[in-house]
Amino acid sequence: MRTLYVASTTAFWALVIAFWAAGTWAPHAEQPPAAPADRAITAAELARHARPEDCWMAIRGSVYDLTPYLPDHPSRPQVIEPWCGKEATDAYNTKTKGRPHSKEADSLLPQYRIGRFVPDAK
Amino acid sequence: MASVMSALRPLAIPLLALAVPLGFAVWAFPEGLSGIRTAAIVAGWLGCGLLLVSLLLMLREPRLAAWLGGLERMYLWHHRTGVVAYMLLLAHPLLLAANAFADSPARAWETLAPAAESWPVWSGWLALVLLMLGLALTFMRRLPYRAWRWLHAALGAAVLIGLYHLILLGIDEPVAPILTVAALILGWRAVRGDWGLAARPYVVASAHRVAEGVVEIALRPLGDPLVVAPGQFILTAFFKGPDFRGCGEFHPFTVSAVEPDDVLRIGVKALGDCTRRIQSIGPGVAARVLGGFGSFLAEPHATRQFWFAGGIGVTPFLGLLRNGGLIAPTTLLYLYHTEDDAAFLPELRAIAAATPLLTLQAVATARGRPDLDRLLPDAPHLIGCECYLCGPPSLVARLKRILRQRGVTPRHIHFENFDLR
Repeated sequence: MRTLYVASTTAFWALVIAFWAAGTWAPHAEQPPAAPADRAITAAELARHARPEDCWMAIRGSVYDLTPYLPDHPSRPQVIEPWCGKEATDAYNTKTKGRPHSKEADSLLPQYRIGRFVPDAK
Repeated sequence: MASVMSALRPLAIPLLALAVPLGFAVWAFPEGLSGIRTAAIVAGWLGCGLLLVSLLLMLREPRLAAWLGGLERMYLWHHRTGVVAYMLLLAHPLLLAANAFADSPARAWETLAPAAESWPVWSGWLALVLLMLGLALTFMRRLPYRAWRWLHAALGAAVLIGLYHLILLGIDEPVAPILTVAALILGWRAVRGDWGLAARPYVVASAHRVAEGVVEIALRPLGDPLVVAPGQFILTAFFKGPDFRGCGEFHPFTVSAVEPDDVLRIGVKALGDCTRRIQSIGPGVAARVLGGFGSFLAEPHATRQFWFAGGIGVTPFLGLLRNGGLIAPTTLLYLYHTEDDAAFLPELRAIAAATPLLTLQAVATARGRPDLDRLLPDAPHLIGCECYLCGPPSLVARLKRILRQRGVTPRHIHFENFDLR
């Protein structure tokens, strides 16, 4: 048991260091280009994409098609899916007792951007 | 029916250790994710299930111990499930990072890096590091028992924080009941096992020295007596008495006799701070007793027997002999350093002289390693015998190895390991 503990702990920290080294020194991948910002998406159009298999969300003035991301979201689906088709900035900013999402989450968003949110457009 | 239950008992813990984590993994199995991310989530749930089994196996309840094949076996599997759970939980964040590695190495590191994250990830890291430190301390054999016990309890906190990590991730529906069960098991162990609510009150009736650093204590029940057989072990904590202050910790001691008035006798060897203090115990000291545990000599065999005892490991055999339990020709090989520290030797010689079925082979080994190759019977004398071993773990390990080399199959080798750390 002791040998297993020592071997697994050593391997764990070796891999953590390897991930750190690769993340620090490997060339950074180009951020996927954001979609043109000029496409206006209204609340009505947003609301038509309110299903997990077709899930748009408005966050901080932009609209994102998060359909491909939903399966990767760490929480259970019931936490994120109700926000499909809605303005979700508050939910995004106040996750976990008022704490915002991580920088990692912020860096993931641009690749899903499909336009700017125009809440008052008729 | 009883024999079927008895045959299935060795499978109870392995089945539990498979069913609970697999049940968790099947219930929470994610759909539509990449293979690596699925593996990460399944590893987390398997580890979580095994930790819950590990917690259950640290309970000190005689009935539960009887169902699961004994307290010693429960502790062995408590360690095994704990370490395997730890390895699975180490794999969980690494696999999550590996999944992100396909996007970019930077994103893989961001998945792991606590600095880039918030409480859901910090709590996961905290639980993992506490688990890591708690297990490291568990393996430190030289740590005094009292300090070791408190530090080992940190592992319980790691389990609770790990489950809270899942709740922070929004997975509260299945986790809240699991967290409740884990907290209940930890509380149950603390209140009934460590604080002694499940223990029966006894008082020391007498104590006398039976060898250098060994005292035999008679315990009289103050209420309903425990159901205990000679040769089983009990967990006993000693408290205050005239001119004595016990350490109040539960330690395992073998029952050397059960008298008609329900007085229990136990042999206590000075092995640590607490047991050294017990050597000066006297009548009137309050005690609390949990048990009985162990089935080492519970099923008498009619075939020829060899008993191998090292030091204080002679106590369960003495308990059986005092009870007049011999039904087959038996040889007792009793190894000790010198006659001064050979507990119960004069009594054993007297019993052997009066018991035709018993052959006593008492051997002083001085301070070196005993020459077991020479002392143990040859293969023809061992085949077909039931072999019972009790003594220090290193001696029992050597005995087992030599017996196997001489053709004794594992089902004919019975041993008890007292190490409850």
